[in-house]
Formats: sequence, C-alpha cells, structure tokens
Amino acid sequence: MDYSRPELADRLAAEYAAGTLRGPARRRFESLLPAHPLLREATRAWEERLMPLTAAIAPVQPSGDVWRRISERIGGGEAKAASAGPWNRLAFWRGLAAFASVAAIGLAVLLANPSAVPPPIVVVLAPTGTAPGATPPASLVASISGDGATLVTRPIVPVAVQPDRSLELWAVPKEGAPRSLGLLPGGSGTVALRAKVLAGADTLAVTLEPAGGSPTGKPTGPIVYAGKFSL
Amino acid sequence: MVKPVADWTQRSLELSRLLARAGVGDRAAFATLYEQTSSHLFAVVLRINRDRAQAEDILQEVYVKVWRAAQTFDAAQSQPLTWLTSIARNRAIDSLRREQTQPRLQTPVAAAGGTDAEDDDVYETVADAAPGPLDLLSRATDARALGECMEKLSALQRQSVALAFYQGLSHAEVADQLRQPLGTVKSWVRRALLTLKACLQGAVVRDGAGAS
Repeated sequence: MDYSRPELADRLAAEYAAGTLRGPARRRFESLLPAHPLLREATRAWEERLMPLTAAIAPVQPSGDVWRRISERIGGGEAKAASAGPWNRLAFWRGLAAFASVAAIGLAVLLANPSAVPPPIVVVLAPTGTAPGATPPASLVASISGDGATLVTRPIVPVAVQPDRSLELWAVPKEGAPRSLGLLPGGSGTVALRAKVLAGADTLAVTLEPAGGSPTGKPTGPIVYAGKFSL
Repeated sequence: MVKPVADWTQRSLELSRLLARAGVGDRAAFATLYEQTSSHLFAVVLRINRDRAQAEDILQEVYVKVWRAAQTFDAAQSQPLTWLTSIARNRAIDSLRREQTQPRLQTPVAAAGGTDAEDDDVYETVADAAPGPLDLLSRATDARALGECMEKLSALQRQSVALAFYQGLSHAEVADQLRQPLGTVKSWVRRALLTLKACLQGAVVRDGAGAS
C-alpha cells in the first residue's frame, strides 16, 4: 500500500486512534509510524480529535503497588508519589523518630511539588533529654517551604505542656542569639518566616517558656527539642 | 464555557511542564505527573481490559514507557493528556490482542442467566456497575465541540464508535454486539469518523474566527 496517499493515511490513522484497527494491521501500522511523517501527523491529529471522549470516564485509583513497581523500574526508590504530603507520612516519620534520638537529621525530601520552587526542607526535632517540667518527650517535624517563606511544625506524638508553659520555636544561628519564630501550641504551628530570619541558622530548637513565650525575647527555659538543618 | 477551557489550558501547561522535567530525569516531577494522571489512565485502561491485575500491569508499562519517552514529548505538537492517554489506550488494546481468541462480550442474555458462570461473571459484574459506552458518550458530550459533532451521527454510528473507542472492541465484536453485518459496521465506523473530522474542522474554524 502507498502510505503517502493522504486519504489512506488518514483512514488508517482514524481507525488506529479509534481502536478498530486490530491484529496484524495494527502492528504493521505501528511499525510504519517512525518512518512515515504523514502517518504520524494523521495519527496525532486523530488522537487529539478523539481523546476528549475519555474525559467522561470516571477516574479509578490504581493500587499503591503500581507506583512502587514503576518507581523500582525507573531506578529510583526515593521519589514519592505526591499525594503523600509531608504530614500524611507521619507513620514514616514516627518510625524514623524512633531512631532519631541520635541528635536530629535535616532532610531535604523530594516532595514532588508541582513547580519550579525547590522542595521543602524537613527537619526532625528530637528530644534533647529530660527537661524539668516537660511532659513525656516527644518529637516534632518542621517543614520549611522551598521558597523559605513559611515553616510548619507538627508533633509526631501528642505534645502537652503544663498550662502555665508554652513551647517556643527558635532559629539558632551558628553565631549570635537565637531568633524567635513563634509559639507552638501542642507542638503545632505555622510560621510566616521573616526575610533572613533563618540566615546563618543551622538548628531549630524548641524551648519551654512561661505561658505566652519568653518575656525577654531570648530563650529562658530548657531546650526540649532540637534539630539540625542546612538551607 | 470560558472557565473549563481556562482550567484545561492550565492543566495542560502544568502537565507539559512535568513531562519536560521528567524528560530530563526529574523523578519528583514524574511522581507528580503520576499522581495527577494515573487515576484517569487507569480508568481508560480498565474499560478496555477489565481484568484489574492485568490493567495494573498495563498501567505500570505505560508509565515506564512515559518515563523513557518523556523527552520526545513535544508540547507544541500534542496535548500532554492526549499523548499520555494514547499511550495507555494503545497498550491496553495491545493487551487484548493476546486474549483475542476468546472475546468476552457483554450481552443482556448472559447477564440474566447466572449458572454458566466461569470468568464471565467477573466481567458482567464490572460491566453492570460501570456506566455503558453510551452513557460515557453523553457525558463527554457536555465537554467540547466533539460532543456537538457526536450529535450529528446516527444513533447506530454513535454506538459503534462508542463501543470501539471505550471498550476497545474490534469491528467484528461491535458487529456481534449490535447484531449487524460486519461490512455494515465497518462502514458506519468509517463514516462516523469522517463526519466527526469534518465537523471538528468546522468547529476549529469557527473558534478561530471567534477568538481573533
């Protein structure tokens, strides 16, 4: 057959896209595509025409296993499918925290944010020891958004402090005084980061302060959790 | 209709960007792409190959192929969702090839029976729960110019196209299903596709004129 004949190319492409071109004819058509621009173009055009029909099909979620298998095959275990946002992975963090009494770990997690901004930096804050006045030690996770504008913390296990105390979060620079990032009621908080507030800092720390936060603007109570990170 | 079109464009841009990043080896972008498109592609595959385990295998193949071919995707040439969906449909149709010796068709009679069960049962259950091809067609018709053009087809032409496109049925299977001669079905499908093409070209011209 002469595949450079536009009508023939168009008819075959239509049947290919519609799915009615079958068996050996379909295989043959596919094998011809790379060498025949006219067929390729006709096929592309038919696919564009017909594909909107699939918009009517209700989505069906495949099992999570599919992504795991794909991920293995493309040679990367590290990328996570994005629906699992940082806080949906608490089980993961809990598991990690169990081993994280070894100080703290700063992790840049590939969170698959659908944009060009860098991924968030996730900092695990581990207990620093038995702090007087603290309820059972717990760990927090802090996530610094990729653009550096916000920081969100969540407790991994429930955090409770006495009513006359507050947990306060600090950015601790290598040199100079810690800068307050705000209070964390129950270990949770969302902080809009002022420009440069993290500049030079390599540690996040949480201290136990009088209710309402440090009266002096400097940490006054014991450090209950800390974690290292690097920007 | 301005809003949905804007959403569609936005979504297309986003998917194109993710594909471009995947094309240079960005696994995180690829993971996001999977997240945003896998339930659609899976549904498309599942309508053609109703065996869930097989459909998941196909989906896996599809995304491995997408990962490898992402750098060949040309946003100037194709809509990303069309590109992805075509890969998924083609893989799904390929998978039918191997099973083609035993086509399993949904017939109202078989659904009523019940005793000569075997694996037909699974098929019937799934088929009954899901909307039929014509339901899908009427839903799709809300969306775009394609819908209006579908309206121009005769009922039987429409049904033939829907069975072939959504269920992945061959001409012979469509003929069987509609209890019509094979040659008749072939010419319905063919004429239906030609009508659609002419109609859509008209729609493009009209849209172009309106936009400029």
